[in-house]
Amino acid sequence: MQHGARLMIDNFAATTGVPLSSEPVFNIFGLIVTNSMFTGVIVGFLVLWLFTLAARHTAVRPVNKFSFAIESFVGIVLDIVEQNFGDRKKALKFLPLLLTLFTFILFSNLVGLIPGVGTFNVTTDDGVSPLLRPFTSDLNGTLALAVLTIGTVQVAAIRERGFKKHILHYFMNNPLNPMNLFIGLIEIMGEFIRILTLSMRLFGVIYAGEVLLHVIGDLAGNLGPIATLPVYVLEIFFSFIQAYVFMLLSTVYLAMATSHDDESHPSDDHLPELTPLTSTGGGAKV
Amino acid sequence: MEIDPNFIKGMTIAVGALGPALGVGMIGASAVKSVGRNPEAQSKIMTTALVMAGLVDAVLAFVLVIVFTTS
Repeated sequence: MQHGARLMIDNFAATTGVPLSSEPVFNIFGLIVTNSMFTGVIVGFLVLWLFTLAARHTAVRPVNKFSFAIESFVGIVLDIVEQNFGDRKKALKFLPLLLTLFTFILFSNLVGLIPGVGTFNVTTDDGVSPLLRPFTSDLNGTLALAVLTIGTVQVAAIRERGFKKHILHYFMNNPLNPMNLFIGLIEIMGEFIRILTLSMRLFGVIYAGEVLLHVIGDLAGNLGPIATLPVYVLEIFFSFIQAYVFMLLSTVYLAMATSHDDESHPSDDHLPELTPLTSTGGGAKV
Repeated sequence: MEIDPNFIKGMTIAVGALGPALGVGMIGASAVKSVGRNPEAQSKIMTTALVMAGLVDAVLAFVLVIVFTTS
């Protein structure tokens, strides 16, 4: 009995398949290409192709269902961004980056669930490694996305306020006060922690999902296809949620960095306007 | 006395899942309560609740990553 229990725990902790780091697949002129980089490029071209196709068939009175679907999707994202910025012009300025982040992360997450990704192997000098691996299940990939996002936030903030004012706003415009100096240093550290949390959240969820699928498949044995089905549905859900969360956090950081009212009390501005009770009745006044 | 590493792994998942489970439960409870109080804002509340659930679930993901990658 002791042996049996031990065996089951061993099986439970088995990690077959997904290694933590991505592995080199081939190299082009000395540049080593890992499997996650390869998949990232493929997904990038796929997204580009889809949006180009939709843009080509765009019309004022839509006849193409596919391009209309993409248009509605862009509209939804624009609504979310505009809600956070509170300004349509600013939202349109940052929409390309945020929309790209959302679609690219979403497709990268979902591509890991397609059968064949992670199961086709190539033999290299280092051994056998999978040919395809989702871009977001590699910490290098998510770190690059996070650095890109926070870099954009910093550049946008410096453009909006000027370099000196931007640095001073961390210290509440008075770096000589020891308390403000301390707060400012923590705030600057917070910018780096933002990079860390943005990248670790996305990587953690997607990578843990990959490993979870493997472990559940191992545990279930012959019933693997049935047992992994709920995890599969959960993974599809998490793919959407994580892409949405990444985009939303980027939007919030950008909105915070490009707003002017840091010195005034923000709580005063966001008080809802009191509407008279009579206006809740019928709307038409014509 | 020597502790089995697999026991530690199991305990890591058990303890690490406790916090996110409580967090998601609280988010769900508050969301349901808010919808009951203001049913017209259901779509907005649900979106916010799902985003918050995504943020909390990341903690569990960290635990899973640590457990599955250490040997």
